[in-house]
Amino acid sequence: MDLRKLKKLIDLVEESGIAELEVTEGEEKVRITRVSANQAFTLAQPMTSVQLPQAAAPQAPAATPAAEAAPAPADDKNAVKSPMVGTFYRSPSPGAKSFIEVGQKVEVGDTLCIIEAMKLMNEIEAERAGIVKAILAEDGQPVEYGEPLFIIE
Amino acid sequence: MTGPAAHAGLPPDSRPLAHAFAVLRALSDGRFHSGEAIAGSLGCSRTLVWQAVHTIENVFGLQVYSVRGQGYKLAQPFEWLDMAAVRQGLAEAAADTWTLALVDETDSTNTQLTIRASAGAPHGLVLAAERQSAGRGRLGRRWQARLGSGLTFSLLWRFERGIAGLPGLSLAVGVALVRALTALGVPVALKWPNDLLIDGAKLAGILIELSGDALGPATVVIGIGLNVADPGPIDQPVANLAAAGHPLGRNQLLAAVLNALHDVLTTFNREGFAAFREEWTAHAAFVGEPVRVSFSHGQPVEGIARGVDDNGALLVETPEGLRTFHVGEVSLRRRRT
Repeated sequence: MDLRKLKKLIDLVEESGIAELEVTEGEEKVRITRVSANQAFTLAQPMTSVQLPQAAAPQAPAATPAAEAAPAPADDKNAVKSPMVGTFYRSPSPGAKSFIEVGQKVEVGDTLCIIEAMKLMNEIEAERAGIVKAILAEDGQPVEYGEPLFIIE
Repeated sequence: MTGPAAHAGLPPDSRPLAHAFAVLRALSDGRFHSGEAIAGSLGCSRTLVWQAVHTIENVFGLQVYSVRGQGYKLAQPFEWLDMAAVRQGLAEAAADTWTLALVDETDSTNTQLTIRASAGAPHGLVLAAERQSAGRGRLGRRWQARLGSGLTFSLLWRFERGIAGLPGLSLAVGVALVRALTALGVPVALKWPNDLLIDGAKLAGILIELSGDALGPATVVIGIGLNVADPGPIDQPVANLAAAGHPLGRNQLLAAVLNALHDVLTTFNREGFAAFREEWTAHAAFVGEPVRVSFSHGQPVEGIARGVDDNGALLVETPEGLRTFHVGEVSLRRRRT
């Protein structure tokens, strides 16, 4: 894995708010962990390893030539993005059970999270079924328009 | 013309509550009624009437005088919500839009309308409740008040614009409440994004929940709770209209608010928040004053409040220049003397 790619992964972790990222490419394995001031002591949390969506890209059906002509980035397809600027909430109320967890299967129409924008509570629903591969935003944190919130494959 | 009487439904174990509501109706003229007479008119036992009075006092929070030989009397006469009376107060266009439904008791009018919205309930459905057993505020905060002290209702509105076109909607709803109350002679102010203040204290709560696509039509459920009289002990200090010197009937108030909401939401669907920006700013508390914007994460920002932009985002003039905020809690910063 070259340095440029590594830098890119670090940037991805920085920008998206992923707490931890683990990438396996052949024999190589990289794990990037972000430690912020209020997380430094939460070692008791179970470690979650996150697979980068790119890894799944080669599985796309090779039969359609059109797909080769316009290779859409896999993370674009699998990412659920924020439709508005606001605050990200993983549960309906503080202390309540989260809508979804990493590894969970979601169906179309399942609520994934709430984005609050100026007291507008916006329930974000899954538009496709799949497995939650990553949760990219932190509970209670501001998110930008178009910012990826989840990876669902 | 009467709106369809929708049955929002009582929970299955609600029979004691249903009895309490029936007995309360019998007492609502404010006179003495004997337990025997009430039991006779309702076709139930006197024990059940006695239990119902107990519920009226302990669950509904209303005082009942119980005098041997005379019966029961409500300490303060009670005005029921009445959809026919509300409908009489509606302007023509509003009357065409709103379908009014009333329920004595439900878990939460917002929850009920959200369920009905996904089952295809019509645009313009209004559900008012005398009592919510699980009334919700923002982020699941409980909203509970003495029976008859508040006006609690939700409405379903289907926008042609998608979620992406809805920023500022909560501020526009605040503008509708200001219009309705100002017309009734109540001076109110707005605190960003949509707190309704009277003499600096909170008079109303607004909860807006939406679902839909970023671009396609969005379905919005707007829940409003207005404090009309003393709500009794609740979580936070609040204002109420009666205490502020504005004793208004709930039916009159609901009609006024629905008229204003009809106009505001219709315009919002067409033009978005930009159409309300000036009106919002004209009624805003703190504009031109030093404020602090606090966040759940990170350092607070201080500056001078400068109103809002076309999306309803807060504008604050800081030493680093004019900044725009979509999130945060605004408070007035005291000048050092």
